[in-house]
Amino acid sequence: MTTQTSTPLLSPQLLAQLERLELVSRKIFRGRMKGERKSKRKGQSVEFADFRQYVAGDDLRFIDWNLFARMERLYLKLFLEEEDLHFYTLIDASPSMDFGDPTKLQFAKQLAASLGFIGLCRADRVRIESLGTSARKPGPVLRGRSSLWRMLSYLDSVEPGERVSLAEGVRNFCLRNPGKGILVLITDLMDKEGYEKAFRLLVAQQMDVYVLHILSPEELNPDIKGDLKLIDCEDDDIAEVTISRPLLEKYKRTVAAFVDGAREFCVRRGMSYLMASTDTSVETLVANYLRKRGLVR
Amino acid sequence: MLPQFLNTLALWQWGLLALIPPAIIALYFLKLRRQPLAVPSTYLWSRAIEDLHVNSLWQRLRQSLLLFLQLFLIGLLAFTLLRPGWKGTELLGDRFIFLIDTSASMGASDQAPSRLDEAKKQAIALIEKMDEGDSAMVISFSDVARVEQPFTTSRRELRSRVELIEQTNRPSDLSEALRAANGLANPGHTSDANDPADADIQTAEAMPADLYIFSDGGFQSVPNFKLGNLNPTYVKIAGEQQHNIAISSFSTDANPEKPGQVQAFARIENFSDTEETVEASLLLNDTLLDAQKVTLPPRSEKGLPGASGIRFEMNEIESGVLKVKIDSKDNLPLDNEAFAVVNLPRPAKVLLVTPGNDSLQLALGTEEALKIADVSVAEPKLLETKAYQDQASEGAYDLIIYDQCAPKEMPACNTLFIGRLPPEGWQAKGPKQGPPLVIDSDQVHPLAQLVQMGNVKIVEGTPLAGPPGTVTLIDADIGPIYAVGPRGGYEDAVLGFDIVAYKEDGSREVNTDWPIRRSFPVFVMNAVKYLGGVRSSLAAPSTKPGQPAVLRTQIPVNSIVVQSPRGDRFEIPREASGSYVFGRTDELGVYDVRDGAGQKVTQQFAVNLFDTRESDLAPREVLEIGHEEVQAQEAQQVARKELWRWLLIGALGVLIFEWYIYNRRVYL
Repeated sequence: MTTQTSTPLLSPQLLAQLERLELVSRKIFRGRMKGERKSKRKGQSVEFADFRQYVAGDDLRFIDWNLFARMERLYLKLFLEEEDLHFYTLIDASPSMDFGDPTKLQFAKQLAASLGFIGLCRADRVRIESLGTSARKPGPVLRGRSSLWRMLSYLDSVEPGERVSLAEGVRNFCLRNPGKGILVLITDLMDKEGYEKAFRLLVAQQMDVYVLHILSPEELNPDIKGDLKLIDCEDDDIAEVTISRPLLEKYKRTVAAFVDGAREFCVRRGMSYLMASTDTSVETLVANYLRKRGLVR
Repeated sequence: MLPQFLNTLALWQWGLLALIPPAIIALYFLKLRRQPLAVPSTYLWSRAIEDLHVNSLWQRLRQSLLLFLQLFLIGLLAFTLLRPGWKGTELLGDRFIFLIDTSASMGASDQAPSRLDEAKKQAIALIEKMDEGDSAMVISFSDVARVEQPFTTSRRELRSRVELIEQTNRPSDLSEALRAANGLANPGHTSDANDPADADIQTAEAMPADLYIFSDGGFQSVPNFKLGNLNPTYVKIAGEQQHNIAISSFSTDANPEKPGQVQAFARIENFSDTEETVEASLLLNDTLLDAQKVTLPPRSEKGLPGASGIRFEMNEIESGVLKVKIDSKDNLPLDNEAFAVVNLPRPAKVLLVTPGNDSLQLALGTEEALKIADVSVAEPKLLETKAYQDQASEGAYDLIIYDQCAPKEMPACNTLFIGRLPPEGWQAKGPKQGPPLVIDSDQVHPLAQLVQMGNVKIVEGTPLAGPPGTVTLIDADIGPIYAVGPRGGYEDAVLGFDIVAYKEDGSREVNTDWPIRRSFPVFVMNAVKYLGGVRSSLAAPSTKPGQPAVLRTQIPVNSIVVQSPRGDRFEIPREASGSYVFGRTDELGVYDVRDGAGQKVTQQFAVNLFDTRESDLAPREVLEIGHEEVQAQEAQQVARKELWRWLLIGALGVLIFEWYIYNRRVYL
């Protein structure tokens, strides 16, 4: 089932396309380093923000002398600080992601690479992790276009088969990464414990969360028949089904209800949700769908 | 039409078959071997299944639709093994004989348009069902049978022959039709006199045949017939309800109380189950004379018709046609009319040859006798003349009375011999002896009717022995002394004692005191009426359809012309007996008779149904043929219709459906 794809995660055409895009955060966060983003922090930049009275110890360079000439008081000119953006991508690498052609994981990796590349191009702080990433061996923090190869090699190292539940993986991630920023969670949400707990953790993190729900066409429109013993690849759970048209219809309704439920859950909590089938190309997904959602521009 | 079953399996085979359904169910209860398939997650599937399990009973039923289909399939196959079927209308066998009743009662309209049409329809329906190569024969029967079509395989021929069968007004009699049908099925046997061991040789190979009798059963049972290789089926042709009122007899007679008046009697019978009131009208030459209302009781519980007689009185009529009709709208209109013919009286020509017999001559000379007879008297020596011999052989007389004499050759007419024996056929049983004591006289025979011999004394007489067929009219202790016997087409009556005897010396001796008794003129009148063939103006006998009418003419002619009620004319030659026998009396009504080439209608005769059996439209349920009873079949139920082919086709359909369900997983 595992298809070790030899195709590169990012094709040159895609790279060229992605270079023109940038990641957008709906929230303004504090960054760690100076970057190309506006920050809540006032600091050095060309963009004026406000005035304030001078207090002893302030940097004399920011005193507005013209104002002092008029008012005979010392005011300090405040500028908006421009900082980098923290961009996290969290990939679900559970065994269930290892399905489909291309596998959902491969698709997730492509997506993560694309978004990461956009961030790298804009000097954002990009960090890609999988749910099963342990605190001892965290994913690399990447910055700058030159880190592309590191990012890709890290993505290549992500293997399916991590037996971590969605909620646990998200909790670990949150503990490791307390900072704010954009989080793109790429998952199939196939967790028997449900996705609600994990999402609530993300909400509490006050990140700008995007949930990319990846499903394969085989899951959306299963093409199976007969008396089957369905084996869950994660927990070896068995479901015995006799495929019939009503059952298939019921399944499709269940999938639709599941997707709708996830979307509604996300929307109510200020998260963005996008369901994507693996038969959609990454280019289309990034350039059209995510653009519409406002993740990139 | 209940289904019938034929068991095709033994008990242990049924036992094995009975094990199959539990085996199928057991297979279903055993874990289904499902194909394993790895999926990303059973999460959504489990939810879908859970939802489906909510309506679990029906869902389970749907799940086990295949089980039900398989059980149904096995059930169908088991049912097929029982070979269910019913009596259908397919003809089995390869030789058929269709007997179609054409008697008067088959014209009844209780089965529209008529019973005969229905019989023909059913016969044609059976002919249509014949297989290729089957042969059939069509016989129509009333009181005579007619082979309409000998054995043929041509259905077209058979059909057209059946369609051509016509209604008759005759009574019905099955026996002749059965004999006609019998020929090939039960060929005759012969015996070889030279080979006593092989005493019974069949002359031809028997060819069994199915005999279909389309009839209402209105005929007598046929006790002396062996069906043998004939397999009879009685197809009852009759409607649900029968309603018929019939005139069962009609006659005229002189009114004994009022001289010069005539009475007409009719008997009307009601064959319905309800009381009926009808109006009976009497017409003379189609002019209404009288009408009466008559109420008829319903048919009795024993099945006898409710009957009532009516009487019309009228003045004497010389000639004409009396018709009585009833205004009943019933199923059989044939018997709602009856005719009686009043012909001009035709006196008998009587020759009395006697040496002298006053009392006889006196009896023949009465007013009544002169009305009916034209008597000439001659001496015995006349018998020697050629003129007499020519007249006698030509049949110029209706009756010759030989008193104390006998001719050398018998004349061509009826005779009455008194005290002598005819020259041929008759013998004296013993010597002349006396006195004979009269024991009995036949009160039924017209010659001896009302002749009371109790007070008659006879001196001596000769016991008589006549030719075969002789009927004793007066029996005495010495043997028969008055008898009548046949001679060709004539009858000879012989009285074994003289009334007066002339001895050889010419003296006259009275042998009996009969002439002074009342019975003597009665005896003479009976003889003249019966032997003279007297036809009075009244009481002309009615002929039944199909029966020959024996006609006589006043003067002998070579042929007469009879015109039927429909207008067909038939020329009838004179028979040796001087009478004319007309056989084509199929139509009901009045027939006109013309003598020779003459245009004048000299006499008429009526043909009436007068047959209670035909008028009684109630169909018979059972025919008795020989010792067999043939039950009526309402519709033609001939062959066993098998259902197993359809069941097998159904099982195949179920199998295909099951295959489709299994492959497509489509549930209804």
